[in-house]
Amino acid sequence: MFHWLEKRPFFFAVAVFVTIAFAGLIEILPNFAQASRPTIGTAPYSTLELAGRHVYIKNSCNACHSQLIRPFKAETDRYGHYSLSGEYAYDRPFLWGSKRTGPDLMRVGNYRTTDWHENHMWDPAGVVPGSIMPAYKWTFTNIADVDTAYAEQITIKNAFNVPYNKPIPMKDGSTTTVALADSLSGAHASALEEAKVVAADMKNQNVKDAVANGQIPEIVALIAYMNSLK
Amino acid sequence: MENRPLEYDYTVAKMFMFSTIILGIVGMLVGVILAFQLAFPGLNLMLGEGLAEYTAFGRLRPLHTDAVIFGFTLSGIFATWYYVGQRVLKVSMAESGFLMFIGKLHFWLYLVGVAAVVVSLLLGITTSKEYAEFEWPIDIAIVIVWVLWGLGIFGLIGIRREQSLYISIWYYIATFLGVAMLYVFNNMEIPTYFASGGIGAWYHSVSMYSGTNDALVQWWYGHNAVAFVFTVPIVAMIYYFLPKESGQAVYSYKLSLLSFWGLMFVYLWAGGHHLLFSTVPDWLQTMGSVFSIVLILPSWGSAINMLLTMKGEWQQVASSPLIKFMILASTFYMFSTLEGPIQAIKSVNALAHFTDWIVGHVHDGVLGWVGFMIMASLFHMAPRVFKREIYSKSLMTTQFWIQTLGVVLYFTSMWIAGITQGMMWRAHDEFGNLAYSFIDTVTVLHPYYTIRAVGGLLYLVGFFMFAYNIYKTMSARRIEENELQTASPMAA
Amino acid sequence: MDIATIQAYAYFFFTGFLVLVLYGYIYHLYSSEKKGTRDYEKYGNIALNDEVTDKPVEKVSDNETKNKEA
Ligand code: HEC
Repeated sequence: MFHWLEKRPFFFAVAVFVTIAFAGLIEILPNFAQASRPTIGTAPYSTLELAGRHVYIKNSCNACHSQLIRPFKAETDRYGHYSLSGEYAYDRPFLWGSKRTGPDLMRVGNYRTTDWHENHMWDPAGVVPGSIMPAYKWTFTNIADVDTAYAEQITIKNAFNVPYNKPIPMKDGSTTTVALADSLSGAHASALEEAKVVAADMKNQNVKDAVANGQIPEIVALIAYMNSLK
Repeated sequence: MENRPLEYDYTVAKMFMFSTIILGIVGMLVGVILAFQLAFPGLNLMLGEGLAEYTAFGRLRPLHTDAVIFGFTLSGIFATWYYVGQRVLKVSMAESGFLMFIGKLHFWLYLVGVAAVVVSLLLGITTSKEYAEFEWPIDIAIVIVWVLWGLGIFGLIGIRREQSLYISIWYYIATFLGVAMLYVFNNMEIPTYFASGGIGAWYHSVSMYSGTNDALVQWWYGHNAVAFVFTVPIVAMIYYFLPKESGQAVYSYKLSLLSFWGLMFVYLWAGGHHLLFSTVPDWLQTMGSVFSIVLILPSWGSAINMLLTMKGEWQQVASSPLIKFMILASTFYMFSTLEGPIQAIKSVNALAHFTDWIVGHVHDGVLGWVGFMIMASLFHMAPRVFKREIYSKSLMTTQFWIQTLGVVLYFTSMWIAGITQGMMWRAHDEFGNLAYSFIDTVTVLHPYYTIRAVGGLLYLVGFFMFAYNIYKTMSARRIEENELQTASPMAA
Repeated sequence: MDIATIQAYAYFFFTGFLVLVLYGYIYHLYSSEKKGTRDYEKYGNIALNDEVTDKPVEKVSDNETKNKEA
């Protein structure tokens, strides 16, 4: 049987393909619908948060940080409740990471504040002696790309029905909505509103000035994103 | 046309040999820099505060992995394909102008793709998915490059003289198909610029899968991409180069048939460990694991087959540095394919996941097995492609020992680092509180990070010796055709 | 039966099937060589005698004539 295949490259290729494709089908497909349902209390990212997420990705923070708390006592003691599948429903792409050179950040918004991040991102070793995390000073001057974040929001709203402007059930029984502006200038305006809240807790004068002038440095978006991780 | 006897045409093989070496240097150099950055974080600023954005760990890390995977390793795979393919099919690329054209186009487009990858990663344009960081324009370019390679493979097979496909060809075909399938499915993404009517960055895209599904598809890709880039094509190389260099036909052709299908079955089915500890009946899970182990037997066949090919000829291992490289490579192959399943055991994984032990595991595979095998293949090809003897045998031997030491330093230090860190993360004191703060588990690793960096540096030094040796080979003594039958000619 | 159970059964039976096929194949390889139907080991020489001027172990055209006979 197999010798027959070796003389017939075409059928050989088909046989190999079937063997390797089949396993994937059985293993992955059945879980698809089940795994993508959001848990109660999980809301999509706002424009500013998403822009911050892009800063996180741009600098590959996920090369050193995971966002996946495993159900072990040691992990829940350190980072909080273990991760649930539905909490990631709006994460495109997922950012679980594969290496914890630094701590998990899945719920960092619960125990770190804007000013802590500001100091830490400027000079990690100054805040945590012995830290090997690089400083991210350029995020204090680079301007965040709100346009792309907004483009992504429109895309996922249209393509995947992400519930922007719709009531989202919260854990305490109430509902909340994440607003999505209907124009690019509207998106800039709402991102700036959010940015002002973050910048109010910061002390870097250049950042404050930029926000006052209607610009959003990357660090502001990044901190907004990290504050949203809960 | 001149009336010359038909010869194999290595033009494209040569091009890819050069890119293997250049991209190998780039990828490994970046890797060594990263290793030193973890030991001495000041190096994140090695080109000054102004360029810090481009030299920080996070930016460079994808550049390292992609340069060694898609630069060094893929180039090596292509180079050996354009060499081995012709020989075992007994047909020269000179016989088909079309295939020659496709081959060259393949190379140049590949190079354009590589350049685009380097620039975009340095700028931070990435999807963040490991080993699939490229945004959609590059993805499309990659698909085209891949299709060109496929045309080359099946075109050459189409005009072959040898009827049966030799073992190596099976593995090259499997590489082609496997990577194509994995890559396409994992990179399903929507360009936001077009979907939003022209807003934002034109190259940005968003994944079609979200959260857990995205992770599932990504690691289906990640795990199996390792199979089809670091295992399958490298096995293709050893099945050709070891028998040819040692002059011994492969120990058992039957065993190689079995190992091939065994590997195809096992690799993708290994994912069954996802079902462990779920709600399905226990006996089913247990039997599932047992079967998987039964399937491993044929998959280990390849490494054993290689070692047995040397039966009765073990003195060659002592006398030829080229054989040394290949035998050590297959030993490391056995070693890391044993280590991998161990790490997949649930309780071991709980400790090892997210630590440097995983990094160590990857590197004993890639440095010991992939790197050694690709260098050995190029060493074997050089005299035949350039028609000159290898410049220096003693340089080669020195390189072998330096790099072996490098690999050993690398994986031992990462083992210790990984297990130490894993243990410290989970340690509780007598009151049930966590015993260590996170930073304690970082600073404790400093010595191991330093040793690892030194190990990596040794490997890089060895790689430079390799590059120099190949470079000098191009101007070494000319050789007679008949010196090329088996063992490669080398000058002392 | 939930989807995970179906998945597990599919996985279980398919793996079992693969094991049977593979081990059946081992038996087939060795027995057909014992019976002298086919000498597999000669194909190992494809790698050793691989000059373009060497005689192929099995020429492409051989097969066509054989096909016609069959
Ligand atoms: C070289 C690996 C590395 C990279 C890249 C990296 N970090 Fe870190 N990070 C660390 C280490 C190590 C620590 C622990 C020591 C410390 O707090 O500085 C840490 C700590 C942190 C903490 C504190 C978490 C806590 O619970 O105390 C935050 C927040 C953080 N990093 C955010 C980021 C962000 C955002 C990025 C990307 C812009 C990033 N890190 C990139 C290594 C890294």
